[in-house]
Amino acid sequence: MKFPKSLIEDLHKWGCMKQTGVSLRYMMEFGSTPTEKNLLISAQFLHKELPIRVARRAIELETLPYGLSEKPAVLKVRDWYLESFRDMRAFPEIKDTADEKDFTQMIKAVKVRHNNVVPMMALGVNQLKKGVHFYENLDEIHQFLDRFYLSRIGVRNLIGQHVELHNPNPPRHCVGYIHTKMSPMEVARNATEDARSICFREYGSAPEINIYGDPSFTFPYVPTHLHLMVYELVKNSLRAVQERFVDSDRVAPPVRIIVADGIEDVTIKVSDEGGGIPRSGLPKIFTYLYSTATNPLEEEMEFGTADVPVTMAGYGYGLPISRLYARYFGGDLQIISMEGYGTDAYLHLSRLGDSQEPLP
Amino acid sequence: MIFPKSLIEDLHKWGCMKQTGVSLRYMMEFGSTPTEKNLLISAQFLHKELPIRVARRAIELETLPYGLSEKPAVLKVRDWYLESFRDMRAFPEIKDTADEKDFTQMIKAVKVRHNNVVPMMALGVNQLKKGVHFYENLDEIHQFLDRFYLSRIGVRNLIGQHVELHNPNPPRHCVGYIHTKMSPMEVARNATEDARSICYREYGSAPEINIYGDPSFTFPYVPTHLHLMVYELVKNSLRAVQERYVDSDRVAPPVRIIVADGIEDVTIKVSDEGGGIPRSGLPKIFTYLYSTATNPLEEEMEFGTADVPVIMAGYGYGLPISRLYARYFGGDLQIISMEGYGTDAYLHLSRLGDSQEPLP
Repeated sequence: MKFPKSLIEDLHKWGCMKQTGVSLRYMMEFGSTPTEKNLLISAQFLHKELPIRVARRAIELETLPYGLSEKPAVLKVRDWYLESFRDMRAFPEIKDTADEKDFTQMIKAVKVRHNNVVPMMALGVNQLKKGVHFYENLDEIHQFLDRFYLSRIGVRNLIGQHVELHNPNPPRHCVGYIHTKMSPMEVARNATEDARSICFREYGSAPEINIYGDPSFTFPYVPTHLHLMVYELVKNSLRAVQERFVDSDRVAPPVRIIVADGIEDVTIKVSDEGGGIPRSGLPKIFTYLYSTATNPLEEEMEFGTADVPVTMAGYGYGLPISRLYARYFGGDLQIISMEGYGTDAYLHLSRLGDSQEPLP
Repeated sequence: MIFPKSLIEDLHKWGCMKQTGVSLRYMMEFGSTPTEKNLLISAQFLHKELPIRVARRAIELETLPYGLSEKPAVLKVRDWYLESFRDMRAFPEIKDTADEKDFTQMIKAVKVRHNNVVPMMALGVNQLKKGVHFYENLDEIHQFLDRFYLSRIGVRNLIGQHVELHNPNPPRHCVGYIHTKMSPMEVARNATEDARSICYREYGSAPEINIYGDPSFTFPYVPTHLHLMVYELVKNSLRAVQERYVDSDRVAPPVRIIVADGIEDVTIKVSDEGGGIPRSGLPKIFTYLYSTATNPLEEEMEFGTADVPVIMAGYGYGLPISRLYARYFGGDLQIISMEGYGTDAYLHLSRLGDSQEPLP
């Protein structure tokens, strides 16, 4: 796709401007009173902030190493970013509620346009992988992908939060995407049920999962983020245990989840006895496209219309992206393994909500 | 103490020479046939290698930041290093078994001279700590201490190994310090008993400890090293649990130890429910002299004759030095915590024994 020279110049100008981060707490406090005036302020902020973030990423997409920028899939993603930048910059000054409603529709459409960025980028990187044999060389690519996806999480969160504030009938205790009284145990229960069902579907059975913690404990967080992370971790654990005990007479030991509430953090540990990962193999698990399953991506995947297949394993994106979600609100994800025994994943969620969005 | 100029010049010359590392496997294979000829070769190697390592550390001791080099305790340690360097360099060429026996006595005495280096350096750093308020500034000091103590572990291991090879009645399956069929569960059992006794002594009671693993599994390692590490970890866990449940009606939950044998690694996990450490406090636990107990070091400690008190806590050296022992043979020590719940310590021991000694 071709874009006018003036747009490209505008892109580079906006790509150099300073980004402004928001904390979960601020989003929650601001969004708790979604008056017309506040929605106007929010829209005006996004009108200035989103083009900066989008431009930064669009520029980076043009300067990737090893010829990654020229892969068709990556060019497609770049086009999406340029179209969205153009749409945002073309939108006139937001002066009243009517403007604000139009703006909200526009950014909602932007979000939809970018729905398949992850599998599309994955396709591009996959094409690159064929020519490069060692993950060590891909360090620059991995760092780029971390920045890229972390930024994407932020943009989609800001857009989604703003759009959701227009919901006339929000669920109880919810401020946009944020559930002010989220029960981590309840989210963990739901996520483990989802993970167990696809395990059943793939293997015909699924190991037990025990969840320990205070069922009455709640704190403000974005449930969809937590669901995604716990789902990924439990999926990995179930697969490891299932494959380890498939030919065994012994009953597969349960996966254990502990939900701990501290002062600074809420920590969720997912422990399995799936045999563990050798220490030498551990750095690889956070790299993109490392997977111990066969890659389900197909080259024929039609650009722009691909549905992301729901599979047990194979993308190699689950752990790195889960870690980005954890870090987005000031938390972290750590994986420790005991070769020959099992693996423990520690999801740290910042309880205070004071962390500013990380802005790569 | 004053040393001749010629010695100082010799020191700087040897301090620049390249160090040579040895792997556990090599030590084991070489030491399995402690013939007179092999002992001669070993002595000749040490005669060349030890002065290089000792000189490197002596030179570093003179150039420490923040005036640490001028602290009386540090000057004392430096004197020990210079005396030992002098003794080694003054020793003539080792030509026969008689020379070799004399050499062995000489390095045995060197090892004794350096017995109290850790508490003496700790005293010096403690004196420094009074003038500096933030641990961040002490990063350079911490890195120095890591190199310094890691090197000391190596020197003492090489000396001790050589001396022990002269033992006419070595214990079964032992090659010097190395037990070729060491049972990690047995060592863990002994270490936990020791830790529980001092917990009893200090608190009047001690939480239970459960150890899980294959009791028949063995691999070659240095039992004293493993004992030291497990002892430190269990001591910390017992203390955390004891203090958390001291006023509680509930029975203190047991500390759980898992011994896992993999292909690359043997991993020992020590898990407690002692309430955990906040994520913000975690980096501090590997710094020297960070301790949540009162420091038992006294300024009046008589130089050179101080006995290291056996206490439950207070030095702030247990974890950093345990980690050095783990790394010495290619392993590692990682601590993860769940604030509000408990802490897991993972001791990775390289099973293959191929790692060269790290030579800082």
